[in-house]
Amino acid sequence: MSWSKRATLRGLLIAAAALSAVPASAQMELKIIAPAAPGGGWDQTARSMQQAMTASGAAKSAQVTNIPGAGGTVGLAQFVNTAKGDGNTLMVNGFVMVGAILTNKSPVNLDQVTPIAKLTEEMQIIVVPANSPIKTAKDLADAVKKDVSKVTFAGGSAGGVDHIMAALFTGAAGADAAKVNYVPFSGGGESLAAIIGGKVTAGISGYAEYEGQIKSGRLRAIGITSAERRAGIDVPTFKEQGIDLVITNWRSVVAGPGITAAQKKALEDAVEKMAKSAAWKDVLKQKGWDDAFVSGDAFTKFLKDEQTRVRKVLSEVGLVK
Amino acid sequence: MDAFAALAQGLTVALQPMNLLFALIGVMLGTAVGVLPGIGPALTVALLLPITFKLDPAGSLIMFAGIYYGGMYGGSTTAILINTPGESASLATALEGNKMAKAGRGGPALATAAIGSFVAGTIATIGIVFLAPWLVEIALQFGPEDYFALMCVAFVTVSATFGSSPVRGLTSLFIGLTLGLVGIDKLTGQARLSFGVPELLDGVEITTLAVGLFAVGEALYIASRRNKGEEKIEPVRGSLWMTKEDWKRSWKPWLRGTAFGFPIGALPAGGAEIPTFLSYSTEKRLTKHPEEFGKGAIEGVAGPEAANNASAAGTLVPLLTLGLPTSATAAMMLAGFQQYGLNPGPLLFAERPDLVWGLIASLFIANVMLIILNLPLVGLWVRLLAIPQPWLYAGILVFATMGTIAAKPSAVELTMLGVFGVMGFLMRRFDFPVAPVVVGLILGPMAEQQLRRAMQISLGDPTVLVQSPISATLLGIALIALIAPFALQGLAKFNKSDD
Amino acid sequence: MSTATHRIDRAAMAIAAGLLVIAVVIVWDASSLPSTVYGIGPRAVPILVAGGLVLLAIGNAVLAWRGEFPEREDYDLQAVLLILGGLLALIAIIGLNGGFIPATAVLFAATATAFGRRAILTDFVIGFVLSVLVFLMFSKLLTLSLPMGPIERLL
Repeated sequence: MSWSKRATLRGLLIAAAALSAVPASAQMELKIIAPAAPGGGWDQTARSMQQAMTASGAAKSAQVTNIPGAGGTVGLAQFVNTAKGDGNTLMVNGFVMVGAILTNKSPVNLDQVTPIAKLTEEMQIIVVPANSPIKTAKDLADAVKKDVSKVTFAGGSAGGVDHIMAALFTGAAGADAAKVNYVPFSGGGESLAAIIGGKVTAGISGYAEYEGQIKSGRLRAIGITSAERRAGIDVPTFKEQGIDLVITNWRSVVAGPGITAAQKKALEDAVEKMAKSAAWKDVLKQKGWDDAFVSGDAFTKFLKDEQTRVRKVLSEVGLVK
Repeated sequence: MDAFAALAQGLTVALQPMNLLFALIGVMLGTAVGVLPGIGPALTVALLLPITFKLDPAGSLIMFAGIYYGGMYGGSTTAILINTPGESASLATALEGNKMAKAGRGGPALATAAIGSFVAGTIATIGIVFLAPWLVEIALQFGPEDYFALMCVAFVTVSATFGSSPVRGLTSLFIGLTLGLVGIDKLTGQARLSFGVPELLDGVEITTLAVGLFAVGEALYIASRRNKGEEKIEPVRGSLWMTKEDWKRSWKPWLRGTAFGFPIGALPAGGAEIPTFLSYSTEKRLTKHPEEFGKGAIEGVAGPEAANNASAAGTLVPLLTLGLPTSATAAMMLAGFQQYGLNPGPLLFAERPDLVWGLIASLFIANVMLIILNLPLVGLWVRLLAIPQPWLYAGILVFATMGTIAAKPSAVELTMLGVFGVMGFLMRRFDFPVAPVVVGLILGPMAEQQLRRAMQISLGDPTVLVQSPISATLLGIALIALIAPFALQGLAKFNKSDD
Repeated sequence: MSTATHRIDRAAMAIAAGLLVIAVVIVWDASSLPSTVYGIGPRAVPILVAGGLVLLAIGNAVLAWRGEFPEREDYDLQAVLLILGGLLALIAIIGLNGGFIPATAVLFAATATAFGRRAILTDFVIGFVLSVLVFLMFSKLLTLSLPMGPIERLL
């Protein structure tokens, strides 16, 4: 069966769905691209989606394909080429890809895909060793202002969400963001050890990664990046400490370029059905992800805004010219 | 001591018949997947984790431990039998292990690897029980400058893999260092030597290089001289099992390998490769049979294999005491815990001692299971070498490409595998050693990153390298290790001329 | 060593030249990298490595000049090309969406032929059966995504 025939059939099914009790999406045979190696965050998202999609009946079947490489840009390039007009293929992506497209000078970008929905987000946190004289976000901001070179931040890869956040914090503290002394580490464990061992001034990561250390008292939380305080987390936000720093590490799904409005609608419906299902809620709880479902125009606008913001920060720190 | 009672408790759980069955299934699955080059223990665990979801926590952790150890053992089996290190930590095992297999001593090589892993795993697990809290405090003292110094020590040991000519050995090493430059610079995010190819941005995959140089390169080389009538592989020559002599030559390397592996594995950025290199070069220096090194010395299998396993257990130290996942495998273990809503870390020992001790006990069980399962299989494994050469090498190439296809399915990656294969072929023809290339690729980027991290934190002050007592000591050791052979040689010459 | 007996090893000389070329490429590549605000920039280590390569190029050239490289026996170029051809075919079949199983079977048959077998059809069948088994195990049991083609979709 050719694509166009299949698309027509899909269209018919959608039309039929309006009349019948069987939702069209339940017939979908989805392909989910994880632009990362098995085991990573995007892969876990894709595989969790696969489970929840079939369990909730949002799709008949779902198959995960891994295309790893270069912060997801290898997968993105392949996706833009092969999923053109394909109403059955989704790709997982997130904040990291926005930066990777810019730093890797990727020939394709997120303007070429069809946004479907944001699924999850994780708030970020800044910590210092428990014996550090720095107690609040203001102390850290003062230290940065006094001598930006002396305040070292440990975090994940250069150009990633942690790096961008270090630059945003430095800028918000009133220092030159281009001068931020950010030290990228290869793995979460390695940077944590450097922070606990007092080799750097502060550490930046997703909240979950530091949670255990904060509870055990080895690390002191300085602030979280959500807009409002979180129930059960006794850490003030940066906003309430007078520092304008709101950022989350989000993950979303997108579809290929050039799909029809009906195809887009069908995919949105399927993803929404999955995101509202009990199976997905279980996944979120198990993995410790925050539900951040946003679809439609709101998500399209969000994606645009994030691209603009990331480009600005990355050119400030000299990663993008 | 509480630890013993808790461990005994854990063991009684692990010894239930149903759980033993889970351990058996785990070990078999792990070994089956782990034999594929490019799919190391971490990925094996990642792939099989969903299977364990369906079991109760104890059963799941036990199967998990089995998969993990099985995956690791699978890697060294291919290293020994078909000269294809399944993961970077099996590289040193392949050096002597495959030479042994070709000489008909594959049986003892596999046995010393299995028993060495068992010994190292057992000692290291006891180490976790008693030394973890103390060791982790030392590990936290290590800063980037200290890691750089540790890499310097490791670099000195590379010469053990050089073969006859220092110029050719160094050339190989520098080709590896060049390959290590490829990709995004971790500290600045800038692309180096990538020529605009997106697949190159992540750098050269160690397993792609190792499999290309070792497996593909060797297949090409042997095919090219197949009419020369040498390289007849005999699966078994002499004893299939370890002789008394083999035991005598193995037990010290096992212990020394463990002594390298466990503490370095416990370091958050220590890794499994460095202890295997250190062990290999130490055994080469200490052996009473230096003439056998490079031709299949059992010490060169026993030591690195023990170091590899001990370092894997070492990574559990920061994981269980601090919740720090310091290796890909530890990160998967974390995922194993998280499926029960548990976060390993300082509180876990207090909150869920049953699970922690259950895991430690299952590591013991998995270790025992592997030995019971694999020692009888040694005979069967070695007979694989009796497969007619055309099919044997065809099978090896299928497995070599299969690992690459499964881990990174792209034409660029497969092309790289082919290019490295041709490189391995040419290097064999011109008598360049291949191992230093892989060592250069592993150590080069690590050393560069740690040095630059140290200099970034010190704002460009190089004295930081000698101000830290750990770093100063390690650099001193590296210097001595570098000069000592020359000094001893000079002394020997001097003594001779004196006579 | 007398000049009459020594021969310059041209192939080995080419290796030395190759190392020199690599060194030049590294320096050229590094020259476009920016410097960093703190510590050592991304340029330093590439230039260090390039320097080492230049020295080694000289070292290898000296060895080649003196003819100190080992003797090389003639070799079976056909066998090497067969295996490389098998690899190329594998890449092409996967690239053209032919799927994992036929690609691997071709590589198996090509390699077996390179090692002197003269039963390409039998070998293809053996390779085919082997890769079907491997495919089933990895794709079905482990949900690992292997390249799909018409045959894989049937399974």
